[in-house]
Amino acid sequence: MSGRFPLFRKRDLLVFLVAFLLAAAGFWRWIPSDDALIAVVEQNGEVVKRVDLERVTEPETLTLEGDVTVTVLFEPGQVSITNSDCPDQVCVRTGVLTRSGQSAVCLPARVAVRIEGENASGADGMTG
Amino acid sequence: MKSSARFVAFTGILAALSLILSMLENLLPPVPGMPPGAKLGLSNIVSMYAAGSMGLMPALALALTKGIFSFVTRGVTAGLMSTSGAVCSTLVVWLLLGKCRFGLMGASAAGALAHNGAQLMVAYLLTSSAVLYYAPVLVLLGTASGVVTALALHAVFQPLERLRQTGW
Repeated sequence: MSGRFPLFRKRDLLVFLVAFLLAAAGFWRWIPSDDALIAVVEQNGEVVKRVDLERVTEPETLTLEGDVTVTVLFEPGQVSITNSDCPDQVCVRTGVLTRSGQSAVCLPARVAVRIEGENASGADGMTG
Repeated sequence: MKSSARFVAFTGILAALSLILSMLENLLPPVPGMPPGAKLGLSNIVSMYAAGSMGLMPALALALTKGIFSFVTRGVTAGLMSTSGAVCSTLVVWLLLGKCRFGLMGASAAGALAHNGAQLMVAYLLTSSAVLYYAPVLVLLGTASGVVTALALHAVFQPLERLRQTGW
């Protein structure tokens, strides 16, 4: 049969592998929640940065300079405050935020990180 | 290819074939639960044959014909989607099949992925990020449809070659 173009060659597996990895990566990003996660970073009551966590592919840090310096780490589907110069470290100990409605606040630095869902329905929205 | 008239005629036959295949495919009722844009891509059988057997230019001509047809019959959005998808997948198939010596299945699956990828990009530019949401589903369905079209092309390859070389 079509000798010039065999139905299958070993190297075709490469294509299937890539497809599988693409799909797996895509599905993996679905898992944390079923609506878009927008991380909102506020400093002194003003929105400094908004990041769609569903679209973050590589870890990325944001350092907020001020009286107290705070470092925010954005990762695929999650956000956290990793470092703060403040004494109480409440925000760092809040840990990783993965769902809409969660927030980490550093009062000494007047920095807040919270997650907004795109649907903005809130976790306890009415179901009636 | 002996004469250019025959070449043009054969390319025309292929163009008609691909249009008819995509028309027939549109007659199939949509499967519930399938995301929009998930299609079998039967006309890829033809574009794949052209990309592998005839070369890049005739294959691109087929892709553009199909795109222009979409523009005329289904509007600007569908035209853009169709053209971008067809051109991208043609380039990929030509590269993998003709240059990199992949098998039909690999080239076909990669072509289907390129098709979906290009269409998703256009849909993303035209609308919003919402369409990227079912990209993983499209990847799986695209790979599957790529395998199906590869099997189909494998079956019809010889008759098409005979038609191209001898006229009948």
